[in-house]
Amino acid sequence: MAAVSRNAKTGLILASIALAWFVGVIVKYWIMGR
Amino acid sequence: MSAVIDTHGHAHDHGHGGHPGGYGGIMRWITTTNHKDIGTMYLWFSFAMFSVGGVMAMLIRAELFSPGLQIVNPDFFNQLTTMHGLIMVFGAIMPAFVGFANWLIPMQIGAPDMAFARMNNWSFWILPFAASLLIISFFVPGGAPGVGWTMYAPLTVQMGVGMDLTIFAVHLLGMSSIMGSINIVTTILNMRAPGMTLMRMPLFCWTWLITGYLLIAVMPVLAGAVTMTLTDRHFGTSFFNAAGGGDPVLYQHIFWFFGHPEVYIIALPAFGVVSQVIPAFSRKPLFGYASMVYATSAIAILSFIVWAHHMYTVGMPVTGQLFFMYATTLIAVPTGVKVFNWVATMWKGSLTFETPMLFACGFLFLFTLGGFTGLVLSLVPIDIQLHDTYYVVAHFHYVMVAGALFAAFAGIYFWLPKWTGKMYNEKLGQIHFWLTMIFFNITFFVQHFAGLAGMPRRIPDYPLQFETWNKISSIGAFGMGLSQLVFLYAVVQCIRSGAKAPDKPWEGADSLEWTHLPTPVPYHTFDPQPDLR
Repeated sequence: MAAVSRNAKTGLILASIALAWFVGVIVKYWIMGR
Repeated sequence: MSAVIDTHGHAHDHGHGGHPGGYGGIMRWITTTNHKDIGTMYLWFSFAMFSVGGVMAMLIRAELFSPGLQIVNPDFFNQLTTMHGLIMVFGAIMPAFVGFANWLIPMQIGAPDMAFARMNNWSFWILPFAASLLIISFFVPGGAPGVGWTMYAPLTVQMGVGMDLTIFAVHLLGMSSIMGSINIVTTILNMRAPGMTLMRMPLFCWTWLITGYLLIAVMPVLAGAVTMTLTDRHFGTSFFNAAGGGDPVLYQHIFWFFGHPEVYIIALPAFGVVSQVIPAFSRKPLFGYASMVYATSAIAILSFIVWAHHMYTVGMPVTGQLFFMYATTLIAVPTGVKVFNWVATMWKGSLTFETPMLFACGFLFLFTLGGFTGLVLSLVPIDIQLHDTYYVVAHFHYVMVAGALFAAFAGIYFWLPKWTGKMYNEKLGQIHFWLTMIFFNITFFVQHFAGLAGMPRRIPDYPLQFETWNKISSIGAFGMGLSQLVFLYAVVQCIRSGAKAPDKPWEGADSLEWTHLPTPVPYHTFDPQPDLR
């Protein structure tokens, strides 16, 4: 059980990084202009 | 077509297994969560896409056999070059190395399976849908987009519905890659057997750990770029559309921020495969293991600061050109470390040249050549002359085909006995290597000369002066395409009627899959994990 939650934690951190990049690149050029 | 056998029986079917004890037939493959099944599906999918992309390459080379328009119209020619690039990069090469990762990483680190076994299944099964979208785009009004694999604005804003299908396909391919990477990184970080420290891992695992991070960092950027293209097309935004105040060059910056690390996403796992094969057939440990790890990391980090070397001709300050030129030439240092270490591994080794080693040596020779032409192109004054010529086409095919594809062939022949439990026919493998090696060079070496003479890429017609180089190149391409039938025959023959393989057919192989597992590997491996302390 401990291994599962550790995996889930790592997976969520990595997924958050990916999501932040995706949203970030659009927001940068949308809200902030160029 | 199963590549693994069940030696544990139903009693051991728990947790990650969809088979045995689960579904049979096609449902086994649709529902499987076993890393070996999924790895096998990735590899066959990759071969199918390699064939589709290869047929497109044959059409391109058939059209270019002579000057003038013979077989396809210019619009369809552009569609072919676009889809050839997208399918080969996202459908063939990347899935091939994800297939290797699925098969090998759990076995090499002593893990029972991948960290997220169900997500692993999903990562794969997204791919056929994405590939279908790409292929279907040929049959919608306006056809497939003819914008080049880089999907530059503003052409992408002007294309028909095929562009929307392609954007959606890129989203799906990106999702699959990101999920695959999260799985691989988590597996390597959390599921290594006791005693399997990071610095004891086989180099293939190290290259994939770093590739996983690269993918997580840059695939969302590509997804963001194509999403902005989509909103420009349908939702009234003007990120890249100059007609609305947008900037097409911005797209190029965003694309190549993804695109250059993408080159290393393809190359690093290939380095990992070669780093397993060369020591095995040199019967020596890999020379400079730690420096290989650091060089791989350095290449990955540098790949983030070189993207604009693809854009010297679109206009940028001289200081910008200098920065990107120096940063690009800097990549030659860690890459040189790797090439040196592979050669040093072979130095005074007890060398034999079975098919995997032949492909690894072919990789070493030709990838280094591709690296040198990359250095040439990194220099601003020369690149301005050679930009968008066949010199560039020759360069990246030496990196992508002789680099990634040769490494993939080396890996397939190397691990085929472990995967199938049977030996491939060595003579067939050697024939496949030599035919591929000869025809590859006939196809692409002459393209350097066509490019130096000024032949532009992505054109279906050309002046008479380029005819000889193009004729030679097309003959080489047809030969190389046909040579791959030998590969298919060798693999199918191995699976169907190959001689039984011993547990460790390669004397110098020393990673866990050779030393701790029988051949063929059981359906469930390392349950419980081995203690390597």
